[in-house]
Amino acid sequence: MSTQIRLRDCAKTFGDGTRALAPFDLTIEGGETIVLLGPSGCGKTTILRMIAGLEFPDKGGVITFDGDDVTHQSIEKRRVGMVFQSYALFPNMTVAQNVAYGLKVHGVSREESDARVKDMLEMMHIEMLADRRIDQLSGGQRQRVALARAIAVQPRVLLLDEPLTALDAKLRVRLRTEINALLRKLGITAVYVTHDQEEAMALGDRIVVMQKGEIAQIGTPREIYRKPQNPFVADFVGAANRLDGQMRDGRLHIGTHVFDAVDAFDPRHGAIIDQGPVELFFRADGLSTCDAARAHVTGRVEAVSYLGERLRLTVSGIGAQAVIVDTHADDVIAPGADVHCQINPDRLTVFPVGAGAGNSAANQSAHAVS
Amino acid sequence: MRRDWKFYSQLGLTVLLCLFIVIPVGMSALAGVTVNVFKGLSSGLTLRWIIEVWDLYASSIMLSLWIALVCLAVTLVAGVPLAYVLVRRPGRLTRLFEELLTLPVAIPGLALALALLITYGGVSGYRSSWLFILTGHVLFTLPFMVRSVAAVMSAMDMKMLEEGAASLGAGFWRRFFTVIVPNAKPGILAGALMVVTLSIGEFNLTWMLHTPLTKTLPVGLADAYASMRLEIGSAYTLIFFILIMPLLIAMQALADRGKRASKRIDTAEDTL
Repeated sequence: MSTQIRLRDCAKTFGDGTRALAPFDLTIEGGETIVLLGPSGCGKTTILRMIAGLEFPDKGGVITFDGDDVTHQSIEKRRVGMVFQSYALFPNMTVAQNVAYGLKVHGVSREESDARVKDMLEMMHIEMLADRRIDQLSGGQRQRVALARAIAVQPRVLLLDEPLTALDAKLRVRLRTEINALLRKLGITAVYVTHDQEEAMALGDRIVVMQKGEIAQIGTPREIYRKPQNPFVADFVGAANRLDGQMRDGRLHIGTHVFDAVDAFDPRHGAIIDQGPVELFFRADGLSTCDAARAHVTGRVEAVSYLGERLRLTVSGIGAQAVIVDTHADDVIAPGADVHCQINPDRLTVFPVGAGAGNSAANQSAHAVS
Repeated sequence: MRRDWKFYSQLGLTVLLCLFIVIPVGMSALAGVTVNVFKGLSSGLTLRWIIEVWDLYASSIMLSLWIALVCLAVTLVAGVPLAYVLVRRPGRLTRLFEELLTLPVAIPGLALALALLITYGGVSGYRSSWLFILTGHVLFTLPFMVRSVAAVMSAMDMKMLEEGAASLGAGFWRRFFTVIVPNAKPGILAGALMVVTLSIGEFNLTWMLHTPLTKTLPVGLADAYASMRLEIGSAYTLIFFILIMPLLIAMQALADRGKRASKRIDTAEDTL
């Protein structure tokens, strides 16, 4: 019963000629939760608004819900539930009236609507707020009302546009867990937009990473995290450490050390390469501290931060930029000390030099149109 | 707390200035119920003048109220959608339109009336009917309605509210009447009171546009002062006062309520 969404050849150029989205195809299976992830201005919200019917793709683009062409249908006809970052609740109505609004529009009888509203409020644990005015609610309560209102009309798809961004960190995690449970329980097709990598990992069956109006990678959270397909994705999902290396005959050379069995993937050609200069991207676990005798690389500690379960070091002298290395929380290390590290080759993601600079790509895309 | 001479001298000055303004109002009101204003209060109090004014000018007063109400209806029907368009579709064209709309406020009423007379003075049926005065009043009051409504509309995120309503299946008119208008209510109410007050009190323009058969309340007042006993003119003022005061008080109360509402901050805690 869940609706499959297909976007084919969808592109978006705004009135002033700026290209917000390059043509792309995307299929979202029925019941699947897809997260559109990317920095601001990458086009993720535009895709969501296209599915909603608030934006229309350029000529040639086709959007279908379960095979029905909805490309030219307005949002009122599409039966989509929407949840906005700033809630979009109606201040002139009570909580219950807000939730009942869509039911009234759809001509649901008074008794049925009352019962449905009651169910929705109970499901979101806000039944005691039914008669409150919107300006008497906290941010978390408002977003619960917004969810209840969107779900009440039993939409074909649920679209969530950064619903947790306006909330504080603790509440964000809590509501995220609840939204996750809710989506599984309803089995509804959902599209969720966020710039928060952790949120994307926690909620998405699949994640679509966006960069400057193009899809950089589509994959499960595990694939995105472990096998980023280009430097932008690697950088965006937290593999912000960078080292230079050389591929020679399929083996990776870093300084004087040689590592086997590392794949260097070139996203431009979709092929594995075995010769040429490469860039290595990795998280803090790509390097581990060791004694001088077994060290692959040695650097100098610039800063130390105590994270409770581990100690996080900022180390210079290993790569062109400082890298982050984690060590045991009980180690006593002061800034200025030398630190010896081993490279864990299976934690590295290797790209040929020039495949797209991670950091600069992220910065540039912030200037594109959202 | 001990107050020094500075406080008392300032208080004295304030009271004096207030009296300077209030006393003529009181004198005028009093004159309206005095038997003979030249003899003073010793001649006794009477309601005779008020009754006489009513007999002479009831039709002017009623016409004024009627024009004010119709003017309100027209500015509501035209002004609210106009404000919506101005806020929702900002651009060079709407900016220009807004400037044009505000022009009648800046131009002297006399000039506006002359323009109307030159253009439509020859259309006899129209020229001699109350609709001619209504036209002037609508031109003059519409910007106040539009401004007042637009101010409230631009303070709410109409685009987002509409998108929310649209996602729930509501078409344009439904959104407009169930979401936009109710949330713009404070602006609409304030604008309505302003329009009625301005229309009832408008003199410049109306004086030029009226005919002996289409005299409004302020025109009648001028007439009374010019051609009747001073007591009658004063009694007339009293009636005018009684009509307009509740409107002004309501306007003030509304403005206060608006201020309080915007001051109320989000006090709910995130306990959930």
